Amino acid sequence: MSFLTSLALLVGLLAAAPLAAHLLRRRRADVITLPTASLLVKTPPTVRRRSALEDRALLAVRVLSILLLALLGATPFVSCSHLALARKDGASVAMVLVVDDSMSMRARGADGKTRFDRAKSAALDLARAAEPGDSFAIVLAGSPARIALAPTTDLKAAESAIVALVASDRSTDLDAALSLASDLLSDARQIDKRAVLLSDLADANVAGPVLDVPESISLWYPIADLESKLVPNCGIIAANRLADRVTVGVACSQEATAARQVRLIAVGKTEPIATAELLPGATSVTFDVASDLESELDAFLEGGDAIAEDDAAPVVPAASGMAIGVVSDAAATRVQTGGRPPVEQALTALELGSTVRSLTSAPEHEADLTPLAGLILDDPPGLTPEERGAIKKWVERGGLLLIGLGPRASTAPLGAGFGDLVPGVVRFTSGGPKGAKPQACAFFGESAEALTELAPRGRTSLEPDALEGAETLCLFSDDRPFLIKRPMGRGAVFVSLLPFDLETSDLPLRPAFLALLDRFVEAARGKGSSRDVSAGQAFAFPGAPEVAGDLMTIGSKDPIRLLPNKVAGSVRVDAARIGRYRFVIAGEPDVRFAHVAESELNLSPRLLAPRSKDASLGGEARKLDISAHLALALLGLLVIELAVRALSAGRAASEKTAASV
Amino acid sequence: MVSSVAKKRACYKANVAAKKRPDPFSPYLSDWGVFAPLRLRAQTIAEGVYAGMHRSVRKGAGVEFGGQRPYVSGDDLRFVDKRSLLRHGRLMIREFETETDRALWLVVDATASMAFKGSGPGSKYPFAALCAAALGRVALASGDPVGLVVLGGDGARALPAASGREAFERMVWTLSAIDPSGDWTARQSDIGDSLAPIHARARRGSTIVLFSDLIDLPEGTRSQFGALATRGRRTFAVQVLSPEEITLPFEHHARFQSLEGGVVVDADPSAARAHYQSRLAALREEWSSDLIGRGGALVTASTSNDPVKIVRALLLGIGGARA
Repeated sequence: MSFLTSLALLVGLLAAAPLAAHLLRRRRADVITLPTASLLVKTPPTVRRRSALEDRALLAVRVLSILLLALLGATPFVSCSHLALARKDGASVAMVLVVDDSMSMRARGADGKTRFDRAKSAALDLARAAEPGDSFAIVLAGSPARIALAPTTDLKAAESAIVALVASDRSTDLDAALSLASDLLSDARQIDKRAVLLSDLADANVAGPVLDVPESISLWYPIADLESKLVPNCGIIAANRLADRVTVGVACSQEATAARQVRLIAVGKTEPIATAELLPGATSVTFDVASDLESELDAFLEGGDAIAEDDAAPVVPAASGMAIGVVSDAAATRVQTGGRPPVEQALTALELGSTVRSLTSAPEHEADLTPLAGLILDDPPGLTPEERGAIKKWVERGGLLLIGLGPRASTAPLGAGFGDLVPGVVRFTSGGPKGAKPQACAFFGESAEALTELAPRGRTSLEPDALEGAETLCLFSDDRPFLIKRPMGRGAVFVSLLPFDLETSDLPLRPAFLALLDRFVEAARGKGSSRDVSAGQAFAFPGAPEVAGDLMTIGSKDPIRLLPNKVAGSVRVDAARIGRYRFVIAGEPDVRFAHVAESELNLSPRLLAPRSKDASLGGEARKLDISAHLALALLGLLVIELAVRALSAGRAASEKTAASV
Repeated sequence: MVSSVAKKRACYKANVAAKKRPDPFSPYLSDWGVFAPLRLRAQTIAEGVYAGMHRSVRKGAGVEFGGQRPYVSGDDLRFVDKRSLLRHGRLMIREFETETDRALWLVVDATASMAFKGSGPGSKYPFAALCAAALGRVALASGDPVGLVVLGGDGARALPAASGREAFERMVWTLSAIDPSGDWTARQSDIGDSLAPIHARARRGSTIVLFSDLIDLPEGTRSQFGALATRGRRTFAVQVLSPEEITLPFEHHARFQSLEGGVVVDADPSAARAHYQSRLAALREEWSSDLIGRGGALVTASTSNDPVKIVRALLLGIGGARA
């Protein structure tokens, strides 16, 4: 602050002058000497009190006037903190605001404001300082990165869109967000293109490349101190219940070294059911609860840290976890090195976050299939009518089935076919072409190349009925199907014409097999069969005609109405917040859960291109001329003073008249 | 009841306040204003007043027939009107008037409250002294002796009843030399002591006139002054007030403090005015009825009044009472 500014503001001290005068006047009581005072009686000072009130109003007006005068005097020198961009030769700017709405942005600063609040405030500053001709777009960096506002020159719409932004519990995807921003800016007509990054840069990808955008675009990181600090923080990343045991998984930043208390509390209650101490370095806590306890449970991490919102999570009942059932004949598919069947070992090795349930035979009841997100049948010797019926109903309600057909499937007893799952007769023939066509096996991704060396001892062939309406995902080198997908109701049946044993082919030893299982599990998760997702992922309801639902966040009693989206014919609901999602799908209730992503607990900031902090792009300080407003305020005060004086004079006159009467 | 300590404190504060700032209501600086010089002003006023000869109200043996009255037991039989008895058969007593020197005793209040000036042309004491001197001048011109008693004041003293030009000079000098002061609100004995010379020396037929604001006088003053109206003596009083004391013209709420007694009252004059004036009227009524009951009268005066009219009214009152 310059000397002149200080001098001008010092004038404000004169505000004490009318105050002192007022006090002096009040203290100096009018004393009148009158010998006949003994004839007077004491009376309440009604008139004086009212005049004092009027004086107070006048005093306030005068003090305010002096302060405004001081401010008016200092206006040319006062700098208001206000984020604004610097323009190149006054040209219009195309700007994409990349606002991070991930969980880490909920961390609060010393002033009590969250990082998201600061980012939003900065975005508003930029929108309000925009000029006609500027274009605005908003990209949200919470995973998945998405466009909140397409490029527009309607500044009011931009302002409204910024005001409507809310924080979420998502993880962070800065790369995708900046990529989106670059795409949006690439079509802009303005020469000056800016991607304004309003993020704490904590995307758990510290080792990733330096964040940047193409050279033709200016990357601007306007609030330097928004960058994430390495502070102690812990969060509940999983809470699962299996019968009488509840396991709460916790992840902490490296800075969190203190022991914490973990509590289990029934929904709607305040008293904990169980409490346990989480020692430093521990990643989970296990509670024993009554097996007949039917209440829904929440897990809480006691003791404050940087982010309070990730210290609570719903406890997911075991039935709600994502499980993949596997039916594989251990004797027929044994591996020379021993152990479980190859398909089970591969699923476990993939660590797809799903539970692998080994089944001795295909379930005969639909209820047994309900907990499963996917079912893998490895060369089953046919299916009984009960098994076929149960699996068909389960698939039609959204289940995913993967069948590997081999010699045993072709020798199924009479009446033990596959019915509608794989219509027609299944035949296994020895010999066959060498390998598959990589170009026709995009489903396997990069692993498809390895399929050229595939050397099966035989293969299964299907009748045309089975191929009708099916999507061929991969072809043998002789253009016969190797892998097909048969949609059925809300679910689908994946049919591999090679079994998953080592006797028939070396498929289980190839990367393509892992790719197959990975895609299958991902598809199961994508189908929405997974009932416990990380915040930011979506619940999908393919084939569901109608979905309605509410979100119950932890500790809240008011449900939040959910708005399902229909994407490519499938209903999807974004799980942006941690909590319970209660759906009604075609009249049937369904509860799903969302918890914080483990990656979001890593608060280490990502490296950013140095050019993003160039002062020539803009800054937080800008001189603001408020002289006109101050002058108007002074005029208003003058009018108020005149009104108060006129009112006072009117009262005095009426009192005088009354006294004389 | 205000404690004595509080009274002293209030007096002290009043003194300090008076010394700090010039005040038209300054209590202890007696302002003679247009009433000075006293000697010349008194002479002028006296000349303007009807200076009729006093007729003795003492009836009985004398040189000039004064009328008849019915006989009452105890009357001197030498004055029985024999002719009336013989003609009408009734016992009548013949009365004669005697020319006497009826002394005039002036009692002037010079306590602190009389220093109050207000918006009048001068303080109350100078006005009272002027009226008293003028009245004394008239009396002396008629050959009546005039005595003086001063209540309070620095250098106050009493002058015995005396006649002649020198008596007027002494009276004027005495009145001029006094500065009103002193709080007499609790000094009952001083009132008695001051009035004692009148008790002792005032002859039958003497007229005693009190010039005072009748405010803050000690309790029993009225009765002690009334007690002088015995043995053919008559008592009159002139209440001298400033215009402010009569009308209470103040508008805003203020703290009022007296000059004697340490009275401090926070009051809103507009709200208290009616009650104040009723109490002032009650005070006058008490004095007036007491004086009239003893053959005297009360004259009220404002310092803004013409002193000639006051003296004339007083003389008329004295004359009326005598008739």
